[in-house]
Amino acid sequence: MPAKENENERQEAQASEAGTEQATGAENAKAAEALDFANMDLSVESVEERISPSETNVFDK
Amino acid sequence: MIQSTAFPVSLVFPPQGHFTQPYLALPCLKAWLQDKGFADVELRDLSVEAYDHFLSPEYLAWAKDRVAERLPLAELESGDSLPFRDMRAWRAAAESAVSADALIERIDEAKHVLRSEAFYDRDRYVPAVRALYHGLRLVSAAHYPSELTPHNFTMRYANDRSNEVLAATVDGDENPFVRFFAEQVLPDLVKRKPRVLGLSVIYGSQLVPALTLGRMVKEALPDCHVTAGGGFLAYIGEKLMNAPGMDACLDSMIFHEGEAPLEKLCVALRAGESDLSEIGSLTWFDRREGKAVTVANPSGHPVKLDSAPVPDFDGLPWDKYFSPEVVVPYDINRGCYYGECTFCTLPTVIGPGYRTRKASTIAEHVVQLRDAVGAKHVNFITDCMPPGMIQDLPDQLIEAEANVTWWSDARVEPRAYTTEGAKKLYDSGCRKLLFGFETVTPRLLKMMKKGQSLKSTIEVASNCADAGISVTFYAMVGFPSETRAEAQATLAFLQEHSDVVREVSLQTFHIDEVAQTYREPEKFGIRVLDDPAADLQLYHDYESEVGMTSEEAAEMFEEMMAGLRASLPLFSGDNIFYFMQKSHYFLHLAKGTLPDDFVAACRERASAREARVARPDLAPSPGLTSIGIAYPYGKVVETLGHPLARAARPDFLTGRFVADAEGLAERRLEPVAAGERVLCYDAIACDFVELAPDGLRALDALRQAGTLGVLTGSLGPDASAARDNLEAFAARLYQHDLLVPTLLPEPRTAPQAETATQAKPSHAR
Repeated sequence: MPAKENENERQEAQASEAGTEQATGAENAKAAEALDFANMDLSVESVEERISPSETNVFDK
Repeated sequence: MIQSTAFPVSLVFPPQGHFTQPYLALPCLKAWLQDKGFADVELRDLSVEAYDHFLSPEYLAWAKDRVAERLPLAELESGDSLPFRDMRAWRAAAESAVSADALIERIDEAKHVLRSEAFYDRDRYVPAVRALYHGLRLVSAAHYPSELTPHNFTMRYANDRSNEVLAATVDGDENPFVRFFAEQVLPDLVKRKPRVLGLSVIYGSQLVPALTLGRMVKEALPDCHVTAGGGFLAYIGEKLMNAPGMDACLDSMIFHEGEAPLEKLCVALRAGESDLSEIGSLTWFDRREGKAVTVANPSGHPVKLDSAPVPDFDGLPWDKYFSPEVVVPYDINRGCYYGECTFCTLPTVIGPGYRTRKASTIAEHVVQLRDAVGAKHVNFITDCMPPGMIQDLPDQLIEAEANVTWWSDARVEPRAYTTEGAKKLYDSGCRKLLFGFETVTPRLLKMMKKGQSLKSTIEVASNCADAGISVTFYAMVGFPSETRAEAQATLAFLQEHSDVVREVSLQTFHIDEVAQTYREPEKFGIRVLDDPAADLQLYHDYESEVGMTSEEAAEMFEEMMAGLRASLPLFSGDNIFYFMQKSHYFLHLAKGTLPDDFVAACRERASAREARVARPDLAPSPGLTSIGIAYPYGKVVETLGHPLARAARPDFLTGRFVADAEGLAERRLEPVAAGERVLCYDAIACDFVELAPDGLRALDALRQAGTLGVLTGSLGPDASAARDNLEAFAARLYQHDLLVPTLLPEPRTAPQAETATQAKPSHAR
């Protein structure tokens, strides 16, 4: 393919990518705005398992 | 003259035992038999072989499908609330659904971590151990309601009823060992055709698996004599051998020390004898008249321990144990030279009388083991060492240039564990000692006949700690007449001395039928309760006239464990895995880490994680998966951890059986109300974390944005509340490794508003 056409394709690809990134960024902002983070229940719970007597047995008999 | 007739013997350690190191009995028996001319003796550790087999991608993939079939999550989530009776099944189904794929992918690497130098990297060790625990939960779910953990194996069948025990041996659905033995073990045995199969049953958790194998071998190899022995059978063997139907699984049982009876059994069988009545300590089924009749021979004499050959570990699957280096057990003595503690029946298991090897023999054998199997670390098996041995053994080990590290149980002997004595022990390789402390209350120590004072206990422990030896205390809660205040005083004492006592092996008091507390309950103010339907009953529930009831003692256990976990750095958070896996903490000490440094590292690790704050480069871990669940996972797990719930599952190590425990738990534990939640699992951290549905939406938004910084950056300037809430959320997820940094740990510049040129999320660990 001729060099100029390569360059055109490259520039088009770059523009398309930039456009996609802008669009993605805009989508992110929209999506973020749609979520009311201030009032969301963002609790995180993890369980510390209780240890049972069989698990504290470290002797052999 | 040594007979040359082939007489293959197979000695088997059945599931379930510790998976970090081998058990000692069978290597002792192998060495003894070989010494007596039986050249073909193989050892099989089927416990570690089973763990290795189950914790494989293939088995976990099978288990995943099986769980989906047997415990469909949707069907378990149809109610407005989750009653106690369905909680275990629901938990198993939910955990499997979210974690199975991650575990299938991760499990080989997790095993590799524990078996390699990566073991010493605690950021790799902890997730790897969790993966093994969770893998076993997946395996258990496939055989629900059976539960196999690294510490126990229980089924819905009661261990104290012979009809249930026998039914368990043929339950191919719920007994995972039926298929494991059939596919992985029996073909080898059928090919080998052993004339004797010896089963070593030390723990109650091994009973059903041992009898399962015994039954299968008796069916497949009618000429093979199946015998069993070991600590647990020393307690209940007589009842077992008189229980109807047991002759389908066994031909005989050896009580207490096994060397002489096993040798004589092999000699008799090789000679074609069918009358085994001359073999001491053997109980056997006499089938000569067709029907199996139980014959209990009188006890035999123990062997001269000092003349016994060095144990032979050859043939054990060294590469399968979940430790980077295998710690080798070796018995210094058998029986207890003190033998007075009123609660203790451990010396029962090995037979009456105290026998010891000489210190010089021990040192010689340690050197032989070091040279034969590369054993650099030894777990000396002893109820306790007498003062003379405490002084002689280090001298002999040093003189022999054994150059091993070791740990063992010990008794408080102030005249032996002096400053100089402790230093010499350290110089001989001692890195950890476990002392029977039990309680801080003098009157209880007197009732226990411990023969030690609190002052001497702390003096001994301090001398050892000063010498660099890590000290573990055995403690007990619920001794008859102990009050809550007394138990709390014990906890306070242990917390105050956490700079000396690094670990506490806490047990609840229990009564077995050998203990003085069972034989003379009136002396302890208790009334022992019998269960007439339990023909294999070993442990008994009891009522106390004063002090805590057994239920209160179980609750106090929880309270004390919570207190210990808050104050012992080694017990904090997931650091406790080092204590729970036999010899794992010791291996760090053996490598040269001082107890103080290990404890500091535990403390630092726990506090570093808690101190993690949100940072802009955080992104969801690539290994993070989630499912929607209908009930709050945390509440269900909390309910299942309640002492009443625990009593509903027979705990084969402490054996607390409570009549109608399941029904009582059902009546007294509240159902968990429905509520939409999200259960997450991270394949790299191997952690279950629960979120509200909003949390999942926030996580999805984070994924879309790429990093926290991009997401918070896209919020408006007036969104400080939103930003704060998001960052607090992110910090908590980061503390659990569900969000991970994508840049280097210490970025040189403050993170800028994120751009498309930012690095893609990576495994930045």
